[in-house]
Amino acid sequence: MRNVQELTWLLLLVLTPRTKGGLSRPGKPTLTSCRSPEKETFTCWWQPASDGGLPTTYALYYRKENSEIMYECPDYFTGGENSCFFNKNNTSIWVNYNITVVATNRLGSTFSDSVDVDVVYIVQPNPPENVSLSVMEDKGWPFLRVAWAPPRKADTRSGWITLIYELRIRSEGENEWETHVAGQQKLFNIFSLRSGGLYLVQVRCKPDHGFWSDWSSPSQIRFPEYFHQEKSAWIVTTAVCAFIFLIITWLLHMNHGSLKHCLLPPVPGPKIKGFDEQLLKKGKSEDIFNALVVSDFPMSWSSSSNSEDLLVELLEVYIPEERENMLGASKDLGGGSFKLESSTSDSDSGRGSCDSRTLLIEKCGRPKEHEDSAEERVEREDWEDARVDTGGRTWPSVFPGLPDRPQRSLSDGLSQVLGPSEGQVCKQIKARSDINIAVSGHKESPARWSVEYVGVQTVVNDDMVILQPWGSREGCTPLHSLQERDYSQVKQVGSDDTLLLLQKVSEGTADGREAGNMSQKSATCMNSTTATGGYVDAAAAFPMTTY
Amino acid sequence: CNRKSGYRCMSHVYMLDRDEVGRLPSQPILDDLSRCRVLSLANLFDRVIQHSARMHGISNDLHSEFEQYFVPSRNHVGRISRNCHTSNLLTPNGKENAQKIAVNLPLLPRGKDPLWHFHQITAHQHDLANFSSDKALEMSDMVHELRKGVEKVAEKMQTLGMISNSVGTLADFLPSESGGWRLMKDHELLYCFRRDSDKIKNYLKILKCRIVPEHGC
Repeated sequence: MRNVQELTWLLLLVLTPRTKGGLSRPGKPTLTSCRSPEKETFTCWWQPASDGGLPTTYALYYRKENSEIMYECPDYFTGGENSCFFNKNNTSIWVNYNITVVATNRLGSTFSDSVDVDVVYIVQPNPPENVSLSVMEDKGWPFLRVAWAPPRKADTRSGWITLIYELRIRSEGENEWETHVAGQQKLFNIFSLRSGGLYLVQVRCKPDHGFWSDWSSPSQIRFPEYFHQEKSAWIVTTAVCAFIFLIITWLLHMNHGSLKHCLLPPVPGPKIKGFDEQLLKKGKSEDIFNALVVSDFPMSWSSSSNSEDLLVELLEVYIPEERENMLGASKDLGGGSFKLESSTSDSDSGRGSCDSRTLLIEKCGRPKEHEDSAEERVEREDWEDARVDTGGRTWPSVFPGLPDRPQRSLSDGLSQVLGPSEGQVCKQIKARSDINIAVSGHKESPARWSVEYVGVQTVVNDDMVILQPWGSREGCTPLHSLQERDYSQVKQVGSDDTLLLLQKVSEGTADGREAGNMSQKSATCMNSTTATGGYVDAAAAFPMTTY
Repeated sequence: CNRKSGYRCMSHVYMLDRDEVGRLPSQPILDDLSRCRVLSLANLFDRVIQHSARMHGISNDLHSEFEQYFVPSRNHVGRISRNCHTSNLLTPNGKENAQKIAVNLPLLPRGKDPLWHFHQITAHQHDLANFSSDKALEMSDMVHELRKGVEKVAEKMQTLGMISNSVGTLADFLPSESGGWRLMKDHELLYCFRRDSDKIKNYLKILKCRIVPEHGC
């Protein structure tokens, strides 16, 4: 029966004459979708094509599975235009529906493509209903509770249809939604929302196999303020920070000095002894450099050096002031080549240090002719001017009396020895200023006077001195060599602890040798002990003691 | 007690119950009995429903794979001639009929319930096993387990006095000949099986909401 009906339709389709003038059969409609909201009824919609310029009617035919019977749509209106609604009686679940739409006008009919529909797989429920939002508290912290009800038509109570839900929430100012899956439950709790914010919530549902429903209409809620919770945290944090700040301030105050010393260490000042910043500011260079001179330089040296040092200790002659006057008179004799060393504070006489013995030996070794040459006089006077000073390493020079000045007392030539001190390299021997040793009547050969330097070997006491000439500083030398050397001879012993030395070039035997009972002894080192009176045994060529 | 042994546990519990009534236990009490805890009916239903849902999922996957690889052309015309042998069985006209079927589901005698047919399908269709052996085997086991689960539910209901121990009136739902399954092609077989597993799941849900209405119903 159904096939006959179809055949009739086909014949009509073929035999219908086609008119011209733009009119034609209707276009081919298409079934757009079929949906069931509760798995009990369903609706199908189609899309009509061109009607061909003629009034066109549409019809929907369906066929159930395992049946050849063609049914027409029972309801064209409930679902709206171009729809077909199947009510409960016409709906079978788990059955394949084969649906076709036909468009018909005066000129013909057009069939759409058939679609197989199983109601179970086209379920799309309505959105959930009665979405309610409420703020609840959990141990003082508020949260949002969302509750809803399933769509009215869906029968979830009997288990006929099982729905799973999904909700989304967003804040008023945001654009993105935050989605949560709720499963089969009908309420959901949302935590950690911003206090004082306005929120929008939507819910939707889906069956086991089917389509998602539309989102429910947005529900609004304003989250309450809960400042008191946050305020306490801020108070605690502020208090802790203030406490820490106070502790740090107190520590800084206590360790202000050391901290300052650590961060900004003081600039070390100059460490030069005697350097006076005030003098530097005044700008007197002479004073500055004089201040740099250590006043007790020899003393400091004595304190540090050993008495056993091998450095030679020398005597330096100090010319008293009469000498200077004479020098001043004799200035006219010479030319500009005079070299007057009359400075009182000649720390370094400039005639060389103790080390430059060669210089002095040359000068000393030169036989001094008694010549009235200005040079020699100059030289002698130069030598005479040599004097020891407190600050310099000078050596004493014993000046014999000049032949042209026979009256010159040896005291003139005697060095004003300064205060000796033991263990000094170049000892400054102090002697009494009132030394006035008169030269005895013996007169040396004027031509034979020469200047010789005597080295002070040791200083016994404050007033005693052990001398030795230059060449024999190492120790005792044989007498024969002694004889060929210049040596000093004790001429006379003063009343008190004084010593009168005489120096002359020996020619094997010394003229004017007067030793009293002394005789030339063998060349052995004589341990001549010196009495406290300062008497030196002059039997030996020179007094020498070995320690 | 996992899902598989859960039913065995239930059987032992039932044995205990029957001991209390006075019958002798047909099976010795096993050692794992002490570890079994008594399941509530609602819990048992949930387990059975979960089982059926899983079975439906596997069958759905099988059908989709079959259609993807073996049916290149989506020619729905050929489907018209599809005829599931189980279409008469358990096919309601509407929701009310489905609920009737669901309620009577535990009453079906053994060997005649639809799940027994499932078991027959998966056990004798070698072509299906060749297509996707692991899934087919899993499905076969699952059907077997599901059958046992439904039996346990029926037993529980009987002990609770909910249903009488009577032969169901669903005998007319049974297919006239079981040999018709072999005539079905693989594709149709999978299609029918997928649908029938969905039916079973739905029926169990209905039955659960009828018997133990709680949340989820």
